[in-house]
Amino acid sequence: MDDHLTGILSNIGVISFVALSAYLLLLTGEISFGQQAFFAVGAYTAGIVTAMWQLPFWLGLGAGAAAGGAAALFVGLPTLRLHGLQFAIATLAFAEAVRILFELFRYQVVRDGEPVGPNGIEGFRNIRYIFEHDVSATQFMLIIYGLLGVTLFGFFLLERSRLGVAFRMIGQDGLLAAAQGVPVFRVKLLAACLAGAIAGLGGGLYAHLTTYVEPAIFDVMLGVHSLAYGLIGGLGTAFGPLLGVVIDIGLLESTRWFAGYRMIVFGGLVAVLLIVRPRGLLDERLVHRIRRLVSRRPPPAPTNAAVLGEEPS
Amino acid sequence: MIAARALLLSLFVVMVSSASGWAAGVKAKAEVSCAATAKPLEYDCAIKLSDARSGAALAGVEVTVGADMPSMPMAHNVKPVKATPGSEPGTYRAQIKLEMHGDWAVKVDLAGPVRDRIVKSMRFEPKP
Amino acid sequence: MIPFIQTTLDGLMVGSSYGLLALGFALIFGVMRRLNLSYGPSIMVGAYLGTLLYIQFGAPTYVVAIVAVAGSVMAGVYVERLCFAPLGVAAGVASMVSSFAIWMQLEQASLLMLPRHSYPFPSLTSGELLSVGPLVVRPDYLIMLAAMLAITAALHLLLYRTRFGVAASLSGIDVRSTMLKAFALASAIGGVAGFLVLSANQQVTAMLGMWATLKGLIAMMIGGLGSIPGAIVGGLVLGVIEVHSQTLFGPQVRDLAAYGVLFVLLVLRPGGIFGTAAVSESAARRGGDRWTTT
Repeated sequence: MDDHLTGILSNIGVISFVALSAYLLLLTGEISFGQQAFFAVGAYTAGIVTAMWQLPFWLGLGAGAAAGGAAALFVGLPTLRLHGLQFAIATLAFAEAVRILFELFRYQVVRDGEPVGPNGIEGFRNIRYIFEHDVSATQFMLIIYGLLGVTLFGFFLLERSRLGVAFRMIGQDGLLAAAQGVPVFRVKLLAACLAGAIAGLGGGLYAHLTTYVEPAIFDVMLGVHSLAYGLIGGLGTAFGPLLGVVIDIGLLESTRWFAGYRMIVFGGLVAVLLIVRPRGLLDERLVHRIRRLVSRRPPPAPTNAAVLGEEPS
Repeated sequence: MIAARALLLSLFVVMVSSASGWAAGVKAKAEVSCAATAKPLEYDCAIKLSDARSGAALAGVEVTVGADMPSMPMAHNVKPVKATPGSEPGTYRAQIKLEMHGDWAVKVDLAGPVRDRIVKSMRFEPKP
Repeated sequence: MIPFIQTTLDGLMVGSSYGLLALGFALIFGVMRRLNLSYGPSIMVGAYLGTLLYIQFGAPTYVVAIVAVAGSVMAGVYVERLCFAPLGVAAGVASMVSSFAIWMQLEQASLLMLPRHSYPFPSLTSGELLSVGPLVVRPDYLIMLAAMLAITAALHLLLYRTRFGVAASLSGIDVRSTMLKAFALASAIGGVAGFLVLSANQQVTAMLGMWATLKGLIAMMIGGLGSIPGAIVGGLVLGVIEVHSQTLFGPQVRDLAAYGVLFVLLVLRPGGIFGTAAVSESAARRGGDRWTTT
């Protein structure tokens, strides 16, 4: 496969993780501007484990995901009881603080006569696992998509489980969910941890894909983008955020001729799209209709708002 | 179930390759210098590749040069360019076209007998 | 003692720019309960238009000021028409994401106008420092402080004494023309803030959009969501914290301190300095707050 195409597909795969991370929180009705922090934590952790401690790749990825989940737990505990906007800003503050902390973080060991490791603002270079161990670009892409597939399968199971219903119930109306016996805070915390782990996993993959990360990459833009992907692609299914990523990166790659105006075009398109479909392309309404077409047995009735595709006023 | 199969396959591949020991392959070192050309945002880059351990020049490598902006990852679309070998062994030249000025991470991807990637942070400012 | 007062004074000066930015945010949030992520970029558009006139045609400072404010207002109205007006009351998140998309749009449009990282910007004063006893004050920042107080007073009058004001201050009432006027006013205030800050620094950089949005947002949250006096206090507090942190620990810790304080404040006192101590979800819902609708 052409190297350039492999590169693009790998990028789409990796960014999908952070998009899914923001999406999972959106399901429970929480807007997070800070998932990029867990992406960063995952990236640095995985890089440290493989490039500095010379441990196997899977250990690095696992550590990255675990670190992302742990960080999310740490942040979620004090903040999830906050009202929507305060939570969003708190996540923003947290993510930016993490980014600045990485600018100050220095930890290096010497390998092959050269220092390797996070070096503050200059970032973390030479995460060369895939080169040292002869993993081809195509193989790595398959790893990315393999893991993405596992994650999507997880979402698939979630949507059909009681936990998934609980997530969406909380997303529609937290008070009503609580009145029906859902332990809202604990469920949201679980969602936050899972989301953090997913972002951390994506971060570990990203670090190894590009071999180089620096704090500037994990800024607010990445966070708001990951939120936007779900909103554009649709909140009805985990494929929604993926669709959003594909549209963004695909558009970027295929429209070289107006490269200088890409954001102007894309931004305008998104704004118009959101007027027409405020919950994205694959919103709950459409997904519900598709499911009814596909399955012979009618799916469990969604809540009123999900059918209408908008929230009760 | 394709996802599961792909996952198992890649797991196997990575397990096998990690079992083959540390530091398989050559580690490359690159010196990159870019000079502005007459056209704005187009730069002529000279790359010098050598073995990081022995210092020997690396000739006959397929070099592709790309760039991304760290502050806006994947927001730009700089077409990766294949470099042409220069006059001396281990030197290569490539012309890249950037989308805007500022700090860029220039990626030098090596394929062929040696596989590696080197990233150099460089700042590109317009001529005053 | 004197250095401490001087640093605090510097912080208040810097904080007055944050306060002005926060005012615009607070106005929009107070009227519409919406977060406008295009606020900073609208200011950037105005500032860049002004800069363009300055460097291409050598326009005098007052022209640059007028163009900066007018440009911000135009951009603000554009954002309101595209992102907020059509989406209506229910879609809070959608309009916010839409405003983010337009943020990207406006930022790229600005950078197309002026691609370099930084440009010179005309200054209001000669730059000579004023001495007040043992303390040193920059006249540019004094102007900013004065402007902030004047605008706040005018805003207070507007909100509590006029029909527009009454409609606007009753949160949850979405009269279309009220929204538009509030947006235009907020953008104008932002434009003034942008102009004053840039003339104090004598340069404009490509980070303006992001900077204005973040600082205004943080200052507003510190002071209390949607509260006008809160915006001022929040801005001043933020400025003081930042300058003290920088003096004590260096420039990188400065931003870290700002975010740290914001985070702790949100966790301990989510309403901000002027808000209620604990803004619970049920209380907010009862109060007609539609932010959490997704």
